[in-house]
Amino acid sequence: MNIDREHIRNFSIIAHIDHGKSTISDRILELTGTVAARDMKEQLLDSMDIERERGITIKSQAVRVDYTADDGETYCFNLIDTPGHVDFTYEVSRSLAACEGAVLVVDSTQGVEAQTVANAMLAMNANLEVIPLINKIDLPASDPERTREDIEEALALPADDAVLASGKTGEGIHELLEAIVYAIPAPEGNEAGPLKALIFDSYFDPYRGVVALIRIVDGSIHKGERIRMLATGTIALVEEVGTRRPNEVASSELGVGEVGYLVTGLKDVSQVKVGDTITSADAQNVEPLPGYREVKPMVFTGLFPIDGDQYEPLKEALEKLSLNDPALVWEPEKSHALGFGFRVGFLGLLHMEVIKERLEREFNLDLLATAPSVEYHIFKRNGTMVSVHSPQEMPDPAEIDHIEEPYLKAKILVPPDYVGAVMDLTIARRGSFVGMNYLSPTTVEMLWDIPLSELIMDYFDRLKSSTKGYASLDYEFNEYRYADLVKLDILLSGKPVDALSFIVHKDKAYERGNQLAIKLKEIIPRQLFEVPIQAAIGNRVLARTTVKAKRKDVLAKCYGGDISRKRKLLEKQREGKKRMKAIGNVEVPQEAFMALLKVDG
Amino acid sequence: MHDPYKALYLHIPFCVKRCFYCDFDSSASSQDNPAIDEYIDEMCMEIRRNAKEGELAQIETIYIGGGTPSFIGSSRLTKLLYTISVSVRLENVREFTMEANPESINESLIKDIWALGVNRLSIGVQSFDDAVLKILGRAHSSSDAKSAFACAKQRFENVSIDLMCGIPGQSIASLEDSLNTAVSLGVKHVSMYPLTIEPHTLLNNMVLAGEFPEPDEDEQALHMECAERILTQSGFSRYEVANYAVPGYESIHNIAYWTGVPYLGLGRSATTMTQNDERRGRIRDGIVLDDLSKCQMLAEDIMLGMRLAKGVSEKSIQDASAYLPKLPQTLDELCEDGLAIHEEGRYRPTHKGWLCGNELYGRIYDLAP
Repeated sequence: MNIDREHIRNFSIIAHIDHGKSTISDRILELTGTVAARDMKEQLLDSMDIERERGITIKSQAVRVDYTADDGETYCFNLIDTPGHVDFTYEVSRSLAACEGAVLVVDSTQGVEAQTVANAMLAMNANLEVIPLINKIDLPASDPERTREDIEEALALPADDAVLASGKTGEGIHELLEAIVYAIPAPEGNEAGPLKALIFDSYFDPYRGVVALIRIVDGSIHKGERIRMLATGTIALVEEVGTRRPNEVASSELGVGEVGYLVTGLKDVSQVKVGDTITSADAQNVEPLPGYREVKPMVFTGLFPIDGDQYEPLKEALEKLSLNDPALVWEPEKSHALGFGFRVGFLGLLHMEVIKERLEREFNLDLLATAPSVEYHIFKRNGTMVSVHSPQEMPDPAEIDHIEEPYLKAKILVPPDYVGAVMDLTIARRGSFVGMNYLSPTTVEMLWDIPLSELIMDYFDRLKSSTKGYASLDYEFNEYRYADLVKLDILLSGKPVDALSFIVHKDKAYERGNQLAIKLKEIIPRQLFEVPIQAAIGNRVLARTTVKAKRKDVLAKCYGGDISRKRKLLEKQREGKKRMKAIGNVEVPQEAFMALLKVDG
Repeated sequence: MHDPYKALYLHIPFCVKRCFYCDFDSSASSQDNPAIDEYIDEMCMEIRRNAKEGELAQIETIYIGGGTPSFIGSSRLTKLLYTISVSVRLENVREFTMEANPESINESLIKDIWALGVNRLSIGVQSFDDAVLKILGRAHSSSDAKSAFACAKQRFENVSIDLMCGIPGQSIASLEDSLNTAVSLGVKHVSMYPLTIEPHTLLNNMVLAGEFPEPDEDEQALHMECAERILTQSGFSRYEVANYAVPGYESIHNIAYWTGVPYLGLGRSATTMTQNDERRGRIRDGIVLDDLSKCQMLAEDIMLGMRLAKGVSEKSIQDASAYLPKLPQTLDELCEDGLAIHEEGRYRPTHKGWLCGNELYGRIYDLAP
């Protein structure tokens, strides 16, 4: 049965982290009877363990909810949950493009925060109707009136009709549902077609092939129909369509304005890309929906199994994960220090962390990650250009004419008090200040031009800590640009360790080399012999520190019962060594390879 | 079936006060505490029970440790020693040690225990520097220690003292003075321990609270080297990592621990080692601490052997290699790294091997984890 377009409401819930987005979603599902109370578990929509643990959403979700409003009519709500991190801004924008409205959750004990602004901007730029929701009104520290003023000032969003609610007690959820019915417009679109549907997420299901989450913009899609993906040109058969409530319910078709899933039977998720447009296979001259973009990895890191035997399992795990994640790219890499592994490309640092964690957790691998790098363009004297993803791939300096590195347009939202702190930090990271706008008395938008390589050096954490967590960051790729870069090598006991090399701006080389040599001295434990650490460009040593030889390490008392204790101690020592990587005869802890991130810019 | 016990250890878990660094099982108690009487009665019963079962028939060394055995006083000790004398064939016992602390040594106690079979006294001196004794929370002074030693000498020829080094606040000069005092008093044996901060001790709490510095390992290495220099120049030989003796006065009981000799431990938190040709176990308070296979046993013997100055013979390496094929290679690597030396048909620890023992033992342990 086709749902009457006038009774459809498509919306997202957006919020600053910890403002209660997932709890509100859970309450909606509960109150509309979509999920029985006994089946409720916290953050139902976040299905991956990592999502639930970290309280972040990585993949998009879409759930259909039936709601009988006070006017006696039954409405069909499609609640689309979006990723909440800057690495996934593109995915968020596609999810929002599938909606007509957004519920903006603001914690009434905290007020408007940086991500509230960033997310509200995204929603407003997508022309969504935004319903402010003032949450956590059951808490003693709650101040709904101030929060209301805050929303009006910082976001220029009328908040007289803001819904007052508590995700915890369920208070105000009914009012929210009514507001969704009245404030958010029904979807528009041409029912007669031709078919145009937006893909806002896709994943690989081993039993059914690629499954896509779609929003029908024009026309309708039927089971058994042949369809075409415009950007990739892929033709597929619609094996099944339906909606999630949240369990899948198959139907014969999805009509205009509807949100649902589509089973294609395709084997490769990169054929069904987020942002692409679906049409009928035989349709001619269909204009693609706006906003499609190729996702390209921005950050690269070496992943090496601690135990050499895990190379094949790591390869299989990467193959499995990339079935579901077209943004994940990888190629084999060999390091003298770390053996065989892979150079893996990610959308950003969070994406990298999540993938590493999933590899370790879901596939039981022990991995060592090297400091992240960006893609450099090396222009050689012979007129050719090579793309380099890791310092090891750098050609001989004599062959290099010049190097270009990726620059970003970065946007930072921050309260005025922290403008100075952001200036200091960002200029130290080779950022150039582009401009500044006062969005409201409490929010300043700062625009920057900054190399990506500086941003991946722990910039986000430092930005957060220097602004007491207030700053939010959004960025997009700008262009490749000339930069005076050098490769800095780290030598342990006089031998270069390829996995510790990095590419750095010439002006920063001495400072970074020195800081890294000091940091490594702290990280590398004392060994039986002295370990000199050197930072060098070619043959020129910039900095040197020394890990002194271990003088004493013995349990002197060893009588009757001490022997068992000693065995325990040696067992622990053995476990500790397993977490180290032997480079030559130097035992190096895993964290040494990420130490570059921990040095101050 | 297990091999006969050759060594007997009795634990007396009572002290006049608890020292700041101590993590041994012992509780501060008043001397007239009836719990001590009950404990000794129970221990005497245990000794008799074991004697009747034949477990004590081949005992060659006895060690009464603590806690502070001297703290419980003459009459209780008399009862205990008498029970031992009718349970163990003392004529076969080559060494019978009792631990004593300076504050509880007196003439009658010395005479009584000597008369009942004890032939070696180990005195917990720790330092002859009152400032250091105070840091450690000891219950005696330097002059107490000297008079206790003089008192012990009335009966005992074989007297050992424990000394500590590497204590924050202890200078090299203070350590040298303690060592020279020990030499001039004529002790026959010195156990030399660098201070370790153990969990659940007062010192550990102080370290965590930032009230006491963590001992410095480099400083401790210097102290251990200083002790070796002074004692070896004074006629002692270092026969184990932490033990020095005038030749002929090495502790037979302690060597038993390092040479795979089965020992029976009685009393609270005393450890028993029992073995046969295939297996070795360690049990304490009814709990199995170790259950080792033949391979683990052999690796442990080599590991413990490398605590001793004489090390291990080529022959025993050869025998063990049948079970631990990588053993010869590991020993060669240890020699290359300067932790061991191969000479005169034996593998022995070097000076570096002694100081960095955990590395040396760890690599042998790894052969049969």
